[in-house]
Amino acid sequence: MELSYDYIVVGSGATGAIAANSLVEAGVNVAVLDVGIEDENYKELIPNKDFISIRKDDKNQHNYFLGKQFEGIPWEATKVGSQLTPPRSFLTQLTEKFIPFESDTFKPMESLAKGGLGGGWGLGCYAFSKPELNAIGLNDSHMDVAYQAVGNLIGISGENDDGAPYSLKNLQNIQPASDLEANLKGLFSSYNKQKDSLNRKGVFLGRSALALLTKAKENRSAVQYKDMDFWSDKDKSAYRSWITIDQLKDKSNFTYHKNCLVLKFKEHALGVDVIVRRTDTNEEQVFTCKKLILAPGVLGTARIVIRSFDYKKEQLPVICNPYCYIPCLQWRMLGKEIEQKKTSLGQLVMYLDEKNDNFDVGMAALFSYRSLLLFKLIKETPLNYADARIIMHYLQSSFTIAGIHHPEKGSATKFIRMQQNTNTLTGDLLTGQYVLSEQEIHINEKREQKIKSALKTLGCQPLKTVYTPHGGSIHYAGTLPFDESGDLFTIHSNGKLAGTKNVFVADGSGFKYLPAKGLTLTLMANAYTVAKNVLKND
Amino acid sequence: MEDKQTYIFEAERIGYYLLGIHVQHSEKNTYADAMQKLNITLSNYEQSLWKSMLKSKSRMACIDAALALKEPNNNVRRKLFTMLAILEASPNYTTYFLSRNFSPFYIIKIGLVGIRAVFRATIGMFIINSIKRKWN
Repeated sequence: MELSYDYIVVGSGATGAIAANSLVEAGVNVAVLDVGIEDENYKELIPNKDFISIRKDDKNQHNYFLGKQFEGIPWEATKVGSQLTPPRSFLTQLTEKFIPFESDTFKPMESLAKGGLGGGWGLGCYAFSKPELNAIGLNDSHMDVAYQAVGNLIGISGENDDGAPYSLKNLQNIQPASDLEANLKGLFSSYNKQKDSLNRKGVFLGRSALALLTKAKENRSAVQYKDMDFWSDKDKSAYRSWITIDQLKDKSNFTYHKNCLVLKFKEHALGVDVIVRRTDTNEEQVFTCKKLILAPGVLGTARIVIRSFDYKKEQLPVICNPYCYIPCLQWRMLGKEIEQKKTSLGQLVMYLDEKNDNFDVGMAALFSYRSLLLFKLIKETPLNYADARIIMHYLQSSFTIAGIHHPEKGSATKFIRMQQNTNTLTGDLLTGQYVLSEQEIHINEKREQKIKSALKTLGCQPLKTVYTPHGGSIHYAGTLPFDESGDLFTIHSNGKLAGTKNVFVADGSGFKYLPAKGLTLTLMANAYTVAKNVLKND
Repeated sequence: MEDKQTYIFEAERIGYYLLGIHVQHSEKNTYADAMQKLNITLSNYEQSLWKSMLKSKSRMACIDAALALKEPNNNVRRKLFTMLAILEASPNYTTYFLSRNFSPFYIIKIGLVGIRAVFRATIGMFIINSIKRKWN
């Protein structure tokens, strides 16, 4: 097996795939090291049909809707990742074994899957504003170029409406937005009638920009509106990072190494040694490269960097968007049949921008509810199941879920820490704490109230606010903040890890601020920029 | 762990409670399979509740209604919930779960069902309190 490459990228998620793609396109010799878990249980079981047809015809549907071990019937209280369906459960498989994390106040989700957490991405694309990018520590003009390059690669659909300044910004080559489902159509038309008064309050509603094809592109087809988005990626209309990895596998200057958990790196005169624990044999292996690009996700990068430096820092900062969701009842949809052809994706986004400066904007993605099945909604009612079924059967078409993200920055009470632990396979354990101040909680609650009030104005009655534990947004950043000082455990603006000559970080470890808007597109754009900087650095 | 026949009997009773019909063998078998895999263990108190619930549809409804308010995570409810999920994920019962166009007057039925749920919960409170007293 070849163990020496010019460039090694760690991880195959949203950032690793883009970094690897940019390097491969430049013609250099690249390897991706990845644990690379794939779904081996469900992919073949799910028919290539729409949700309603499957529900009416497939006698074996319980195998994937509920899971072969019935793991898709949730019983415990809401936890991070409980929205992962059985066919998506491979995304978090083996994380407790290989990358354990313990905390009472912070419950992050990590992935060792091929394509990483991108396999469960809601596809929301947001090009951040100049003030947001500057607060993160990124150069806005470089990022605008990168946004466009990534957009061209993954394919983005959307519309130039009131939401565009918060999502599409200056992006070109945008495909038309997907067909809006009936549940959200009423909300949107209500907004358009009242937009002047809502805009004065800083509320803007627009079609989501999504990494979802509405026109065929290369070997990916346009969205078929099967409403199986949480269960299957058969038509590849939704962008997933593994699509890029699979395309790269056809290139002669690319190699994908599966079953490789990167533990640490060691620099020497000729380049970098990358020490790997094989997850299939449990043996250690050493790869070498001229330049190493870390992109296993913020917590994964932190583990590798802490193990690699002789100097140990007691703790590293971390940032994660606070997240809650609000089930709402939309009166105009009561007792109506849900259309057969739709998507499960959030097709509308509400922005709360009270200062009208596109900074510290609150965000609520709006979804309807169907394909995650009715029994999960029934469980949330304080009624006996038989009566709850009759009531929820009637109400289900009128449910709209608002998923609210808050902007977030770091503080002394939000950190991670590595501890020695002989009980784990790697001999260490990542722990952490995530506590918001009273003032931060108050600001978030006020923002939620304003969003709820706007939803009511649109004919959408909020029922209750469900808070997920910190970590529930699955947006993590800021462990190795951007800094030009050269201090250890920081990243230079070109992506180079301080204290190293040939190690770069392409994930969100450097981000010093997290806008409420989803960060995946920005992570990918940053990975693109870092890969370009790595090439320039030669 | 109970034997398969016991689970088939439970499935019949739960199915009848949830949908008001006698459910098919395929769903009863899936329930038995689920019970074997999930291995839900009941405490003595929960076993007493469960025995009482299996006696009749109305007792099952009342105890479930009271538990929904007082002990929503009681393991007997997990059994009911598992069967509910199995029935939903079956092509035989889609009409009970998939949305459809309801008549505007259906709202009256919804109101009556809500009142019935409260009534059931009240009766259920008495039943579970009497069972609880036996174990305290």
